[in-house]
Amino acid sequence: MTISKITTRKHFEPWRLAGNILLTGAFIAVSAPFLWVFLGSFKTGTQLNNPTLILFSPNLANWTRVLETGILQAAFRSVIVGLITVSIAIIVGSMGAYSISRYKTGGSTARFGILTAQVLPPAILVFPFLDLAYRIRVNGTLVSVVAAHISLVLPVVTWFLIGFFDAAPKEVEEQALVDGLDRFTAFRKVVLPQVAPGIGASAIFGFVISWNDLFYALILAPGNSATLPVRIAGFNTFRGVELGAMSAAILVSVIPVLIASFFIQRRLVQGISGGAVKF
Amino acid sequence: MSFRARMMTPLLVVFVAAIGYPLISSFVLSLTNYRITRRDETKFVAFAQYKDVLQDHAYWSALAVTGTFIVFAVALELSIGLMIALALQNQRRFRDFSRSFLLSPMFVTPIAVGLMFRFLLNQQLGAIPAILEKVGITYDFFGPGRAIYSMVIIDVWQWTPFMVLLLLAGLESLSKQPFEAAKVDGASPFYTFRRVTVPMLAPILTVAVLIRSLDASKVFEYVYAITRGGPGTETQTIQYFTYQTGIQFFRLGKASAMSYLLLIMVISLVILLFKRIEKARLAS
Amino acid sequence: MSAVFLNQVEKLYGSVPAVRGIDLEIPDGKFTVLVGPSGCGKTTTLRMIAGLESVTSGSIFIGDKDVTALDPKDRDISMVFQNYALYPHLSVAENIAFPLLARGAKRAEVQGRIEEVATTLSIFQLLNRKPKELSGGQQQRVAIGRAIARSPRVFLFDEPLSNLDAKLRVEMRTELLRLQRELSTTAVYVTHDQEEAMTLSDVMVVMKDGLIRQMGRPEEIYENPIDTFVAEFVGSPRMNLIRGRVEGGVFKSPSGVSVMVPYSAHHEVVLGVRPEDVVLDLDPANGMPGRLEIVELLGPRAIVNIMCGTHRITAVIEISQLTGLHEGREVGINFRVGRTHFFEAESGLRINF
Repeated sequence: MTISKITTRKHFEPWRLAGNILLTGAFIAVSAPFLWVFLGSFKTGTQLNNPTLILFSPNLANWTRVLETGILQAAFRSVIVGLITVSIAIIVGSMGAYSISRYKTGGSTARFGILTAQVLPPAILVFPFLDLAYRIRVNGTLVSVVAAHISLVLPVVTWFLIGFFDAAPKEVEEQALVDGLDRFTAFRKVVLPQVAPGIGASAIFGFVISWNDLFYALILAPGNSATLPVRIAGFNTFRGVELGAMSAAILVSVIPVLIASFFIQRRLVQGISGGAVKF
Repeated sequence: MSFRARMMTPLLVVFVAAIGYPLISSFVLSLTNYRITRRDETKFVAFAQYKDVLQDHAYWSALAVTGTFIVFAVALELSIGLMIALALQNQRRFRDFSRSFLLSPMFVTPIAVGLMFRFLLNQQLGAIPAILEKVGITYDFFGPGRAIYSMVIIDVWQWTPFMVLLLLAGLESLSKQPFEAAKVDGASPFYTFRRVTVPMLAPILTVAVLIRSLDASKVFEYVYAITRGGPGTETQTIQYFTYQTGIQFFRLGKASAMSYLLLIMVISLVILLFKRIEKARLAS
Repeated sequence: MSAVFLNQVEKLYGSVPAVRGIDLEIPDGKFTVLVGPSGCGKTTTLRMIAGLESVTSGSIFIGDKDVTALDPKDRDISMVFQNYALYPHLSVAENIAFPLLARGAKRAEVQGRIEEVATTLSIFQLLNRKPKELSGGQQQRVAIGRAIARSPRVFLFDEPLSNLDAKLRVEMRTELLRLQRELSTTAVYVTHDQEEAMTLSDVMVVMKDGLIRQMGRPEEIYENPIDTFVAEFVGSPRMNLIRGRVEGGVFKSPSGVSVMVPYSAHHEVVLGVRPEDVVLDLDPANGMPGRLEIVELLGPRAIVNIMCGTHRITAVIEISQLTGLHEGREVGINFRVGRTHFFEAESGLRINF
């Protein structure tokens, strides 16, 4: 076999150039606000009055002040709410989604119901939650927030999972049945591992929905059990602008999510093309 | 109980408890004059709340504000998002990095985004007005007639990435062959885009627009963080208006009626759209 | 090892029948092949034996045990699927061990068995790979390995060779047959490919429209097809079927075919003759005159199409007899004596003399 030398001729590609210019612009548009807030979190009160100041000696006062406000505890509460919500949604949702996908349980009614649940205006569910929370005296606690977040996350997660189960070949689990597993064990040991990437993507997606929610958390637990978004919203008082401290608080919520997004981006693209956007 | 029923039961129970119960309860509330501060005076008033809401000028104005917001935000997100998705798909180097980075805004708590932009665009403290000032432009981002468009800018900043995510997933799931055929046939990139990419992507474009429109109809955080509905009621969106009615004025009955009316509108819109999609699909 | 019995087994999907009440006895230790065109109910029948599909009415026995209501895991069977259905998250060794471990065997006990199976199928060097790192043929071997790891009472095969390329298919066919002979375990095999059915089966079951049309040894079915459907379905190229009328010991078709028959009643019939039983003579006067249309070379033999009147007849002849035959040539056509089949024109059923 002869190896022939391939010469590539570089030629002008206007579309690629336009694309790269666009991406550079988008890159600046995305990073500028983050950078500005990042700088702001190290500025003193007077430095904050000069919004375009870039070079200055950093000051940690904003950060120490923010940490004293219990923002980390709020972040912790957000994590707890997110984890409980997602665990329940994934366990309950995966079983139900499997039944709907594999055995056509509930037929198109089930699928339509889950789809509709995703378009409900949040305001339609929140008042009964508030009312019920008052009646059973869990108002202002995380219990009511978790309940509300389940109503938000469960339909989305279940919808995603139905798509993933639809895409999984059913012969593999039939093989497991013939090989000697009962149906539930086959589900646990053979079906779930096959859709593991999908479960991961749905879990992260559900967690982000819960982590980001302000509306429910603000109405159901505005006080001592405030989640991170509620606590951040609390910096926005009419008493005065604590711009520096607020910048630091914003970063507390942004940084972990930013780091997570780097890891899940590819999986999310796969997950969504894997059936979640098919109606 | 059969296996499928046993698998379905937990979902059904949680679904009924977390969604079915509040949905019905909310409807019952909307038929009363329930106020959380005056629970003893609760009376059944049938559809009086609905009549009240429909005659409320503020409700219609909030709907109009929300509609304007959705149309501008989603149109911008779709056009910018499609361009970025195409650029990302054709990118050769730093693929993973630029994807992760450009998608990051959608993962940030909307309230943090709202506050960030509140100050970034603030006339005294914000960087952007300061930069504009240097080139001789004075622009108040949250002034009368402008605030709603600034809200649109914020929504575009945060949610174009989501549009990119959906469209990128769609683009990557398309079969490669028609594109190769178009290349062999000598079609220009723009012609290929117009006659091959867009038609093949059409179902996903529709779904993406639908998802984003429904999400945008829930806009709340930016209003809460920045304008609280002002100036006047220019940025009073439906979600914020309902929040005020229910939480600041404790009128849960009326707020529930407002949400139900919104739900009816949303669902009829969804069904209408789906019928059209089905029709188009069957016609082709 | 056990025989399998189906008694009046019926399967309805909604109100649509897939299998219409069949009786079938699958003999112990034999290789039985269910064959038929798509939609004939063969796969449904296999899946009902496996327990993957419920039975609408009737009963299924494996040995003397009624398994109609049992879960697949309690039927003591192994199955190989068309797309291999390997567990994608498990290695080859773990895939083979799966049916053993699933039934409570200890990991230490199965190691030896895995190696034995891997050696039999020459996949020893693949044991640590994941399914997605294997070629189609290798995946197929692993799927078979998993089926034979245990000693089940029945092997079930659902078109296991149809995803392989032609060469590999023939190889694996031989291998499967060798394995089944060695283990002499009852095997039920589903295919739509009649050639595969002919080569593999001890017992061949031809199905159509949810019913069994004919069952028997393959050569028996080939020689004595029970009706025109089986006659056409089994054998390649297909049997020539010519509609006509018997009058006074002569069969005559409107298209111009005429043959002497040992049969005198006046009757509308269909005459069948296999392509290899059509003999050509270079002299058109010797036999029915016909015109040679197309010759397809097929290795040592050739398929020849001849127009006889308005009827196209297919013949298979040895290459050596091709001398002097070319497209467009007039020839004489004869049917081998005693090798013609007759079927009733109305019902299509075989007429025996």
